[in-house]
Amino acid sequence: MAGIMIYSDKDELSFELLSGAKLISGHTGLPINAVCINNSEQAQGLAARGAETYLINNEAINLADSQGMASALESAAIQLDANIILLSSNRRGKELSGRLAEKLAAGCLTDVGSIKVNLDKIECMRNSLGGAVLAAQMITSDYKIIAVEPRVFEEMAVGKEGPINNLKIEAQAAELEVLEQRAKVGDTANIESANILVAVGQGLKSENDMLIIKELAEALGAEIACSKPVATDKKWLPEERIIGLSGKKCKPDLAVILGISGQVQFTVGIRDARTIVAVNTDENALIMQMADYIMVADLHDLVPEMTRALLVKKRLNGVRL
Amino acid sequence: MNIVVAMKQIPDLQQVRIRNRQPVLDGVPMTFGSIDKNALETALQLKEAVGGNVIVISAGTEELEDTVKEALAAGADEAYLVLDDELEHIESSVSAHLLAELIKQIENIGIILFGEGSGDNYSGQVGPRIAEILGLPEVGYVCDIELEDSRVKVTRSLEDCEEVVRVSLPAVLTVMADINEPRIPSVTQILKAGKKPQQILEVEDIGFDLKGDKKIVTLSSLAPENKRKQITVKNGEELVDALLTEGVIRR
Amino acid sequence: MEFKLSKEQELIQRTAKEYAEKSIEPIVKQIEDENKVPDEVIEGLRELGLLCLPVEEKYGGAGAGFEGFVVGLEQLARVSGGVGIFVSVVMLGTSTIAVHGTEEQKEKYLTGTCKGSWIPSVAMTEPDGADPRMLKTTAKKDGDYFIVNGTKRFITNTNFAGPMVVFAKDADTGRINGYIVDKFCEGYSISEPWDKLGSKGAFLSDVYLKDVKVPASNMLGTPDEGFQTLKVTMAMGKIGLSAIYLGNILAAYDEAFNYSKDRIYLGKPISQFESVRNSIVDIAMKYEAAKLMTYRIGYLADNTANKAKLVKDSAMTKIFVTETAVDVSRIAMNVFGSYGLMKDYKMSRIYRDAIVGPQIEGTANLLKTVVATDMYK
Ligand SMILES: Cc1cc2nc3c(=O)[nH]c(=O)nc-3n(C[C@H](O)[C@H](O)[C@H](O)COP(=O)(O)OP(=O)(O)OC[C@H]3O[C@@H](n4cnc5c(N)ncnc54)[C@H](O)[C@@H]3O)c2cc1C
Ligand SMILES: Cc1cc2nc3c(=O)[nH]c(=O)nc-3n(C[C@H](O)[C@H](O)[C@H](O)COP(=O)(O)OP(=O)(O)OC[C@H]3O[C@@H](n4cnc5c(N)ncnc54)[C@H](O)[C@@H]3O)c2cc1C
Repeated sequence: MAGIMIYSDKDELSFELLSGAKLISGHTGLPINAVCINNSEQAQGLAARGAETYLINNEAINLADSQGMASALESAAIQLDANIILLSSNRRGKELSGRLAEKLAAGCLTDVGSIKVNLDKIECMRNSLGGAVLAAQMITSDYKIIAVEPRVFEEMAVGKEGPINNLKIEAQAAELEVLEQRAKVGDTANIESANILVAVGQGLKSENDMLIIKELAEALGAEIACSKPVATDKKWLPEERIIGLSGKKCKPDLAVILGISGQVQFTVGIRDARTIVAVNTDENALIMQMADYIMVADLHDLVPEMTRALLVKKRLNGVRL
Repeated sequence: MNIVVAMKQIPDLQQVRIRNRQPVLDGVPMTFGSIDKNALETALQLKEAVGGNVIVISAGTEELEDTVKEALAAGADEAYLVLDDELEHIESSVSAHLLAELIKQIENIGIILFGEGSGDNYSGQVGPRIAEILGLPEVGYVCDIELEDSRVKVTRSLEDCEEVVRVSLPAVLTVMADINEPRIPSVTQILKAGKKPQQILEVEDIGFDLKGDKKIVTLSSLAPENKRKQITVKNGEELVDALLTEGVIRR
Repeated sequence: MEFKLSKEQELIQRTAKEYAEKSIEPIVKQIEDENKVPDEVIEGLRELGLLCLPVEEKYGGAGAGFEGFVVGLEQLARVSGGVGIFVSVVMLGTSTIAVHGTEEQKEKYLTGTCKGSWIPSVAMTEPDGADPRMLKTTAKKDGDYFIVNGTKRFITNTNFAGPMVVFAKDADTGRINGYIVDKFCEGYSISEPWDKLGSKGAFLSDVYLKDVKVPASNMLGTPDEGFQTLKVTMAMGKIGLSAIYLGNILAAYDEAFNYSKDRIYLGKPISQFESVRNSIVDIAMKYEAAKLMTYRIGYLADNTANKAKLVKDSAMTKIFVTETAVDVSRIAMNVFGSYGLMKDYKMSRIYRDAIVGPQIEGTANLLKTVVATDMYK
């Protein structure tokens, strides 16, 4: 009994899992099977990326019902003789992984942030103790379920075409009834909860230049924030957008800090950002010392350049940013 | 109707310090995971709306007998606990089996609530695993609950949409951190907490082999090196590439 | 010997901390500017049992004892010295009545405070001074009443309805006793509030008592117990003050410690400078010492039948903690440099709050004479 099986409800995440499966397969030589449930478009996408694809078409299986979904994947794993199961660690994927793990008496790791294969051992890295530590863990049970965070692997590129097989799975009608699905209402501007921030300081020459900042923020999907003087003295932005001691304390995944010197009253509001990019004409500016990526440049040149680069990548990949 | 809330005892994360990349847990008081407190608050609000009894279940070290006072102070009516000092770092599958045994001792259960993830590990597995063990329907990431006689209508919050579903009771629900704001227990309730009933089981009572059921090994557990990378980039494109590779922006 | 909070006390601490951070911290500036503890905060404190921590449960209190009280008040005062004084004076009023009041007085005034809307005061100080030997306020027996006349200075919580324990001299016998005056009764009026340097928010004014008719049944204790009542009040007030300024020290400690890690100088955080590190260690040691004394006085208050016996220990604790708070604030301010002077920084408020402690509820000088008298007797 050995093989890798991947499944995600989201197409692009399944393409990423395919790259992950490839990594494991490269070390272990195990075959890869990609499973799709009631989603032939995804099946085509996976096949186009060279995967041995199995499409389950059975209207009794309801995506929203973790019970039925876990049963279907359990049957698939048995039929396909797969013991290593990669799922996506989005919300649906995490619900599914616990339930499937229990069915297969499997050890399961969710929110896996990276995978390393050492001979035939799959080491998974995940945050623990509320993010205070990074643990390297390994599943020792026969069945192994690994739920991988989005963006850990690159999407597999389109290449040699793989086959699409139909997989027959029996299923009982779900006990769960879906009454409604609705799009989420967009979050209102709140720099404290934004994942990405573009913060601008007195390095910005004029209020008109705010336009290039807006364009960058849009390309990044970011909220705009600022240092105190930009709001209180220049009044180019409202005071709700101030980062720092007298403003908000933010912990975004990414902070792009433009033309801000990095006085402590500012930095206390951004030091918990996961990744910090600092753009400043002064290579000795304090902000440079707390940056992951340092760019000594005039922000008026760099910002449009960065926006352009982002848009180009976006077009190349044909996926939303 | 009994409303069961599973809560996990964890060290108070705000007080954990890192030394030589190792977490220092000595002297750090135990508490419950923060989303578990949202689950408890959900139960209390359901009780206030339709009546019933709120029962906290938990498995952990002997200290749990003290820690559980926190949940009892916040308004839970009783507690069912598995206590054993071997239960310090148990994996999700073990927690699920121990808690499922506790749940089997409770009659007339309506809803079994969990946080979407524990405060320390955030793996989110225990709820779905228990649903599987008990053969119950489960809905995760719940941000709204409406009871309807023998069924429940819940809103599940996914990354890009909300989904309203209906399931029959009893059901397992895991709630989101933003479903509510947990109440602060009053001092009066805190002082009464120790007098509320606690049912205590030992691992042997359940007949569970803790050692034999290991499915995960931890190879290392270190604080990430907290240094900023300090990489100098030359132009916008290089910067964008670096950010894409790091995964902080979406391709 | 046990130096550990019980689980219940740990939870009281957490409740006070969470409440202070969630509901007081965001409006500290408003509390200071308006010099007023807002009604929502008072209600919040009452609902959570933080307003009446040591009052017995049968009167609607939390029944957390003085150990619970010092642990809880420390966390409230850590966020606002004004709220600290406000809560401390509520304790002072309720404790004075609890120790020497009749069952009826307790039923009425303690329950009215813990469950109703009353906020007590205690009025000792007069324009001439706080020393009981200088009291000029008089109470003259008139049938079933006492007629009280006098002016009280620097009295807290005078703007709220509720009981005020007024210390006055019997016009006939010259004996000092406490009388419960219902605030805003006929003859009761107050001055404009005093605008003090720190611990803003707790309302402070003078009180004018003009022919105030107090029912004879509102006298605390028997006529010859007055001195005992006074001692109890003196002791209780000092327990409150100790807890408030312990919270102030803790706040200074947090601020200075965090700032030392954030502030970069010559390319490194100032916590890398030996002198700054030593300052932080000094603050930490002083906090620990002040904490031991404060928690101990809470323990003694719960375990001493005759509360009047606490005068010496509570005075020593109060002197030590409030003077330490001033000391710590000065050291912490030195860690900050000029930035600490700016109102945007919490440090500036902590410093202003600290200055207040030694000057109230008996100055250090005066209290040392009290301690010495006890030691040499
Ligand atoms: C009590 C107090 C509270 C405070 N609270 C806050 C607060 O909450 N938040 C806050 O932000 N500040 C706060 N401050 C102010 C803080 O100390 C700094 O003065 C402020 O952050 C500086 O803003 P800045 O970096 O935008 O401007 P500056 O310090 O003037 O820095 C501008 C930077 O832009 C760079 N630059 C110039 N031209 C360009 C260009 N063309 N391209 C790229 N870079 C360029 C310069 O090299 C410089 O580093 C507070 C100060 C005090 C005293
Ligand atoms: C915010 C605040 C709240 C207050 N709340 C109340 C309250 O609710 N109820 C109340 O009754 N009072 C209250 N007071 C008043 C306060 O308790 C007294 O003012 C304080 O105890 C000082 O007493 P005093 O005015 O007699 O001394 P001061 O006149 O201020 O003393 C002057 C100096 O003389 C010294 N001194 C005085 N007597 C002696 C002595 N015997 N031996 C040696 N030195 C001596 C003092 O140490 C000081 O150095 C409050 C004051 C403030 C500022």
